[in-house]
Amino acid sequence: MNSSLSAQPWGSLPDGRAAHRWTLRNAMGMAVTISDLGGTLLSWDVPDRQGRFGDVLLGHATPDDYLKATAFMGALVGRWANRIRDGRFELDGVIHKLDRNDGPNHLHGGFDGFHRKLWDVGTSEGALIVSLTSPEGDSGFPGEVHVRVTYALADDGTLSIDYEARTDAPTPLSLTSHPYFNLNDRRGDIRDHMIRIDADAFLAIDATGIPVDLRSVAGSAFDFRTAAPVGARLLWPDEQLRVSGGFDHCYVLNAPGKGLREVALVTDPASGRQLAVSTDQAGLQFYTGQKLAGSARREGGQYEAFAGFALEAQAFPNQVNSPRSGEVILKPGQTYRQSTSYRISIG
Amino acid sequence: MAPHRIALLFNANKVYDRQVIAGIGQYLNSTRVEWDLFMEEDFRCRMRDIHRWQGDGIIADFDDPDATDALANLTVPVVAVGGSYHDSAAYPADIPYIATDNAKLVRLAYDHLIEQGLQRFAFYGLPPNPRSRWAQEREGAFERILAADGMESSVYRGSPTSAGGWGHAVEELVAWLRALPKPIGIVAVTDARARQLLQACVIGEISVPEQVAIVGIDNDPMAQLLTRIPLTSVIQGAEEMGRTAAHLLHQMLRGASCAGTRVLVPPVGINVQASSKHQPVKSPHVMRASHYIRQYACLGIKTEQVADYVGISRTVLEEHFKRELKQTVHQAILQHKLETARELLAHSSTPLADIAVRCGFTSLQYMYAVFRREYDCTPRQYHEAHRQTLPS
Repeated sequence: MNSSLSAQPWGSLPDGRAAHRWTLRNAMGMAVTISDLGGTLLSWDVPDRQGRFGDVLLGHATPDDYLKATAFMGALVGRWANRIRDGRFELDGVIHKLDRNDGPNHLHGGFDGFHRKLWDVGTSEGALIVSLTSPEGDSGFPGEVHVRVTYALADDGTLSIDYEARTDAPTPLSLTSHPYFNLNDRRGDIRDHMIRIDADAFLAIDATGIPVDLRSVAGSAFDFRTAAPVGARLLWPDEQLRVSGGFDHCYVLNAPGKGLREVALVTDPASGRQLAVSTDQAGLQFYTGQKLAGSARREGGQYEAFAGFALEAQAFPNQVNSPRSGEVILKPGQTYRQSTSYRISIG
Repeated sequence: MAPHRIALLFNANKVYDRQVIAGIGQYLNSTRVEWDLFMEEDFRCRMRDIHRWQGDGIIADFDDPDATDALANLTVPVVAVGGSYHDSAAYPADIPYIATDNAKLVRLAYDHLIEQGLQRFAFYGLPPNPRSRWAQEREGAFERILAADGMESSVYRGSPTSAGGWGHAVEELVAWLRALPKPIGIVAVTDARARQLLQACVIGEISVPEQVAIVGIDNDPMAQLLTRIPLTSVIQGAEEMGRTAAHLLHQMLRGASCAGTRVLVPPVGINVQASSKHQPVKSPHVMRASHYIRQYACLGIKTEQVADYVGISRTVLEEHFKRELKQTVHQAILQHKLETARELLAHSSTPLADIAVRCGFTSLQYMYAVFRREYDCTPRQYHEAHRQTLPS
């Protein structure tokens, strides 16, 4: 854990407000930079097998780039992580209409979701606490919601992200963090990374990314219960991979309701780095970054497809329009909580 | 419905082939698909007889040059497994092909040597042989990588290994190694070839890794057991190849056409050991001493013997060690013993008492004491902790 956390200026937004960034450090020499714009994870410097430091997160260069972008890089996502069919849901007999920012669907909080807001920032015992008030009607969602997210970097390389939220009227809520990782900062895309995901099933999707079917992973390209290379799996003939041009699917994690447990492990043979993902959530969206081509690259130029992957812990996509919608409605008097952590080490 | 009869045509005498077959087994277990598997009882395959076999599908090793012809006129689905080719015309037409990505295997080995700070590179391959076309592919990949980086490379193919000609072959290998500029990193086409390199370095008194850093391919436990200096090696994705081949055949048996499907599987990792841990050492005394320590630490040597071998006094040797390695000679010896022990604990089921003996500890109790002090755990705890994290 770390000592002094102070705000560094990081440019200004079009409306004149200033954006800032903070840096968490640990005993291994890791440094995580977080901005108040979108509560975004900007960078994460970690050692490789040789002890050389490199940034394992994709990102843009300036606040302006983040506001123009559509990839949700590193952002805190809300009120609803992932998609809601046709941007609408019914709650207590009322139809609510949301931003439709992904074809016919709502995605990741809409055009002006949590990822574009300027969050309040405080610190406590070396951790960074970012908070936000989402007003009634935000992107079409009911109720005023208060969100508080705590980022902490432990000396073992664990970046923990703990969420809390309260509302004054019932609203669907599913929050997530959207970092894109590439464990090899020196060469190539993520297709030679190996991934293991602790899930016996995943949600098959339609052409717009909405789940239509719960499927066993057994015998398919989606079976990562034993670690497998991402790129080689992308070459398996599979109708679900063709639908989305790669993996952009929600895994139904094993051991639901068991609290925080390790659910995925990604390793990069070249750098020797590995990323362990732990969460208390039921779903884990695995996205291989096939639509990243053209996104502004922090170091200049543009990213290519498959430049990074995302593992987003969350409720199930479109769950608010499913028989299990009750589980994802936050009511007044209740506190929403979710815990997810990313741990980077040398394998 | 009766289970499909599937032939697995592999010469499963190498760790790679066995891992491919293990991957096929994993796929069957994960899907509860039942196949009636046909394999020769000695795990060798006779391609020529396969047309007489009455079955439903075949997964075959297409590194075997007989496979293409022998399987050409069969009507049952066939999935090919083998090495990748730079020239796509070299793949069999119309047959789905699951390949180990030769270019990426070599790339991982080369990148690792670059990371060690090496600036000169060589390749130890095999003489051309239709049964090991992958060796030429790896050699070609190596040359293309170096050409792209604007570097000169030295490639040595040696001679085919035979008992009669072995003495002469080693002499030639030693001569090639001696003539190379130093320090240099060498990619060996297989662990078997890497082991010969290590052997030749011992004979030629060339220190590994200070003068010659070595990376093999296969991560073959057998090669590890037979080398005194633990060998760095690239791990092929052979099990994933098996899973992929089984998946494709499974789809074809259900009527899908997989013609033209080609899946190149990258390496799953690199097992970094002492043979490539190149640290630029300036003092020739430290270089010579380190070489000796790696050879004989596990035989229970003491500082005195190292100094005798180097030919300088203990005091002077200690001064050199302090300056260059920030440790005493004794600590360097102990460190090598501990690293060897950790390797055995993590990757074998060798009894603890045997490990203590093999690593040159005077007693099992002493190994326990040193482990507790250095790692804050017992050897048994270390063994258990690392067995659980092994990839299954």
